Amino acid sequence: MSENEFQLGRQLFYDPIMSRDQTVSCASCHLQATGFTHVDHDLSHGIEGRIGNRNSMALMNLAWNSSFMWDGGINHIELQALAPISSENEMGSSLNEVVAKLNASIKYKGLYYNSYQDSLVTGQKTLLALTQFIVMLNSYNSKYDKYIINEDKGLFTQQEKNGLNIFRNHCTSCHTEPLFTNNEFHNNGLTLDPYLKDYGRMRITNKPEDSLKFKVPTLRNIQFTPPYMHDGRFENLKAVITHYNSGITHSSTLSESLNNNLQLTHKEEVDLLVFLRTLSDTEFLFNNRFSYPHIN
Amino acid sequence: MVSYTTPIVKLKITPLFNNQSITKNTWYVSSQKDSIQFTKLKFYLTDFQVKSIKGEINTIDHSNYLIDIFKPETLEILLNTVSFNNGDKLSFNLGVSSVINTTGAHSGALDPSNGMFWSWQSGYINFKIEGVSPSSKTRQNKFQFHIGGYQSPYNTIRRFDFVLNKHTTELNLKLEKFFEGAKLAVDNQVMIPGEKASKLATVFFNTLSIN
Ligand code: HEC
Ligand code: HEC
Repeated sequence: MSENEFQLGRQLFYDPIMSRDQTVSCASCHLQATGFTHVDHDLSHGIEGRIGNRNSMALMNLAWNSSFMWDGGINHIELQALAPISSENEMGSSLNEVVAKLNASIKYKGLYYNSYQDSLVTGQKTLLALTQFIVMLNSYNSKYDKYIINEDKGLFTQQEKNGLNIFRNHCTSCHTEPLFTNNEFHNNGLTLDPYLKDYGRMRITNKPEDSLKFKVPTLRNIQFTPPYMHDGRFENLKAVITHYNSGITHSSTLSESLNNNLQLTHKEEVDLLVFLRTLSDTEFLFNNRFSYPHIN
Repeated sequence: MVSYTTPIVKLKITPLFNNQSITKNTWYVSSQKDSIQFTKLKFYLTDFQVKSIKGEINTIDHSNYLIDIFKPETLEILLNTVSFNNGDKLSFNLGVSSVINTTGAHSGALDPSNGMFWSWQSGYINFKIEGVSPSSKTRQNKFQFHIGGYQSPYNTIRRFDFVLNKHTTELNLKLEKFFEGAKLAVDNQVMIPGEKASKLATVFFNTLSIN
């Protein structure tokens, strides 16, 4: 990868030229300060105020993902950007249209030349440049990481240590350390939203055993990425913990590990919540390298 | 035995409907008595290989072509980095292999900006057949087949081969065969991978023949 290609990808990520009416950029739904997701909406908003059917996802440590989207429908990171660009409710354009607009821009012709020694804009180059930007969005400097590297240094309070133990007892089978996801698809006991009727992974595989399964999301920077779940149904982490503790809906595809209520005490719930906050990485959330590119 | 070693194979693609050439705004009638006009017909031919009589395989790098029957310049494929002896076999995929489907963004004929790629579920559309027919009771009587899918059991990639014995070979596309199986009053929209797509891939494959 070259620095020029990364900077080109960064420009593209923040540029509304990617949408049909030049109003929406990738960053409209993926904001740095909130772990590269959109916080005040349960379902994402696109051009002309249209509302999509899923909650935006936080973008981080993507190179370790084996598939993308809540249902895993995208099989390679380079192909990810095609989905929002072409979705009617998101950017409402097409890669073809974006390429034509970029080819008409003197600024971009120059940036493409700097990256690829050829100023012709193509779909492939556009996707590769965006990829070079989003794969660099890596978060690994949280309090949790510092504690793990140096477990005996007393970095964690007793409450955080208790929370980590509860987490390791009940959550790591899916939210596996250190990425806090096992990259699998699971039904974690949410009731079906009768309006959205989103069956998740089954849409891609057509297999009944995948009904209501969604990708296990990372929990890094989770404190900053509300609302939670694929449809943003929970506004805060307390509601998420209540769900796992006593709100699981049973169905044939529910993951076995969630068959029994956790029966955490109120104190344990709070400890778990406090632990989840140790996954925040402010160096990542405020790293200038990933922020809006000011060019002169 | 005559032996050719000139490094050129030329494939000329001829789309036909009951032996008539295909143009826009012309009505064709299928054996199901459906009247049909074509508005779009595009497909991929990829991964060309020459297999010698002895069994040696010579793979031709970057031999991926997007054919658009309404763009005459795409109807001729020149393979000029390959030599062959009479009796060798030339083969290629009708569609795009699973390897290409799972290795990210590609260039040239395979560039996702060519409109032959699904965005919500990664994968190439191996062929598109679109047109109008009064039998198709859809909006504006349109029929649309976007066929793709690289995962078993509904893989839609088919491999064609034939024996090389001249430099220029005519590859015919007898499209009436596609509509022998498809009754447009019932089947007029297939846009996702699955069983139907896989069946139609075989039907489309069977329209190919060497003249
Ligand atoms: C209108 C809001 C919106 C816009 C604009 C948008 N996204 Fe997204 N993004 C989403 C939503 C919603 C999801 C989850 C979609 C799903 O699962 O169906 C998502 C998912 C993703 C993912 C998958 C993350 C994972 O862990 O699987 C990536 C990567 C991504 N977007 C990158 C981008 C890029 C790059 C752009 C700009 C080209 C972009 N997004 C534009 C809303 C948006
Ligand atoms: C059986 C696997 C599994 C277990 C065990 C599990 N989760 Fe989850 N978790 C998931 C899945 C799948 C999702 C996404 C579900 C959806 O959106 O439909 C999720 C979502 C979440 C989210 C929302 C993330 C976001 O970005 O929206 C949080 C927070 C969370 N889990 C915390 C926990 C905690 C805390 C525990 C332990 C008490 C736990 N999970 C146990 C599978 C699991």
